[in-house]
Amino acid sequence: MRKVSGIVLLLLIAAATAAIFAPVQALADEIKMVGAITKIEISGQDATTATATLKDNKTGELVTVIVNDDLTLDKFKDHRIVPGDEIRLKYEVKDGKNISRYFRKTAGC
Amino acid sequence: MRIKGVVLIAAILVAVLALPQGILAADEEIQKQVDALSKELRSLRQEVAQTKEGRKSISDWLTIGGDYRFRIDSLRGEVPAFFQFNPADPFNPPLVGTFKVKNDVLYTNRFGLDLKAKATRNVTVTSRLLMYKAFGNSDTAATTGTFFADRIGTFDGTEGHVPGDAKLTVDTVFATWSNILDYPLWFSVGRRPSTGGIPGHLRQNTPKPGVGGIPALLVDYAFDGMTLGWAPDIEALPGAYAKICYGRGFENGITKTSGNGLHDTDMLGVSVVPYDTDPLFVDLQWNHGFNIFDSPVIASTTLPAPFNSLRPSVDLGDIDWFAITALSTLKNVGPGRLNVFGSGALSITRPNTNTNAFGGGLMFNDDPLAPGLQGNESRTGWAGYVGFRYDMNKNRTKLGFEFNHGSEDWITFAPAADDMWTSKLGVRGNVYEGYLIQEFKLEPISSFASKTFVRIGYQYYDFDYTGSNNWVGAPVKISDLTGSPLNAQFLTPMKNAQNIYATLEVKF
Repeated sequence: MRKVSGIVLLLLIAAATAAIFAPVQALADEIKMVGAITKIEISGQDATTATATLKDNKTGELVTVIVNDDLTLDKFKDHRIVPGDEIRLKYEVKDGKNISRYFRKTAGC
Repeated sequence: MRIKGVVLIAAILVAVLALPQGILAADEEIQKQVDALSKELRSLRQEVAQTKEGRKSISDWLTIGGDYRFRIDSLRGEVPAFFQFNPADPFNPPLVGTFKVKNDVLYTNRFGLDLKAKATRNVTVTSRLLMYKAFGNSDTAATTGTFFADRIGTFDGTEGHVPGDAKLTVDTVFATWSNILDYPLWFSVGRRPSTGGIPGHLRQNTPKPGVGGIPALLVDYAFDGMTLGWAPDIEALPGAYAKICYGRGFENGITKTSGNGLHDTDMLGVSVVPYDTDPLFVDLQWNHGFNIFDSPVIASTTLPAPFNSLRPSVDLGDIDWFAITALSTLKNVGPGRLNVFGSGALSITRPNTNTNAFGGGLMFNDDPLAPGLQGNESRTGWAGYVGFRYDMNKNRTKLGFEFNHGSEDWITFAPAADDMWTSKLGVRGNVYEGYLIQEFKLEPISSFASKTFVRIGYQYYDFDYTGSNNWVGAPVKISDLTGSPLNAQFLTPMKNAQNIYATLEVKF
């Protein structure tokens, strides 16, 4: 009886722990940062993907993301976004790669 | 024989042993060179790292750019017959017959210098210095006249936008604090970038203004003011942002505590942009002007004494404006890109009963036979502005056409617009403009945005009513000017006007 109670208690604790940490895991899917672009790599006017490296304002670390959305790629191609521009970025990690989900110049004027 | 074989083998052995030594010696030399190059590379990397981490390079925090423009204009205008208002004898205005005016060739120079400094994290200071003058002139005489209220002289907010003297004026300077509390919030204060707004950037061949600026149909004036903005990330509304803007149009200064009859003239605006992408940009705008003055401060006008200098003398009331602007840039339309826009606006006056010294109120005239009994009657005007520009990818030719119409009671606040006769978007009538831009295929050096181009264009103004860009006094239909002496005009009305222009412009 004690053994069964102990096992049930352990299972309850495990379930509670999973419930507490599950939301954190969901939030960790999307990472936000603000930083200046240090490098943009794009193969040409017909490119369908590009990589951008940004320096995180808070940590100083360099983060490289893959950008696939057409609107941002157009801005890379015609230099509306260039190295030095500050960006608000949201990205997710997929198969070990940082994929951009939101790439926008810091608003302000 | 055996000895020969031994000697041969020995010789072969010597050769074989000597050969790698030679190769080894060559390898060693190469290795030494590689080591030396690696050492130099490490040293260079360290130097660059130190430059970036310890000692800031100026290009890390300061951006310098600008533009130069040479422009040629040929101007023609037709003045209809009208009664000329005579302050000395307002009941007997003389009749002036129709005549034509012209300036065959007007040359102007304009120079702008842009500076942007990243001062601290999230805080920048942005400025634009501007100089604009006519060849052979160091004042506004060449480009001002007695025709339109926004071109009788330059005043605060139009300096550098209407040809004047050669002084470098501060057109914009503002500090912006972005990412406030790590949110997509910003606050910006200073002399605002409230000229050359969307979609006016198309005919100017400049980049689309970002979140700064205000639609051209409502405001083209260098306001001193501030903005509070918010740019949330809403998946269904890409690029969305909203801002509250404030500007001071006139500072009344120190007065007695009982006042001097005037108040500061202020403008408040709310801008909501639900969509800001290349295929679609939409801006919803509301502005309110408080305590609209009867005249800005103009140190030197084209008018005869005692009107050769003007300043506010009375508040005339308030004005509300509402506007919607849409812009679309579509890629791969044939061999190029198509930019299409439409903008519509309402102006609604809220006059009090005040008038200036000659009975001019906020879009009404005082009845000289029953003075002070008019006013308090709101007038609603409207305007539409449409156009397109087609950009050919291959040869960098851009072809544009624009049309705008303003109704009888339409009033805007755009005196700094880049038009020689008068701000075309404030016209009570129709304006047609066509232009062609040819960019030169010259590799940019100073920045990615650098370019050199020529622009030729033609404007035709067809005025339906008097008082374009003027909120003092009631508009009169051009065809009714000689119908009654009560329709006498203080400024010289115009029936139609033309402007052929060409520019050579360099952006760096």
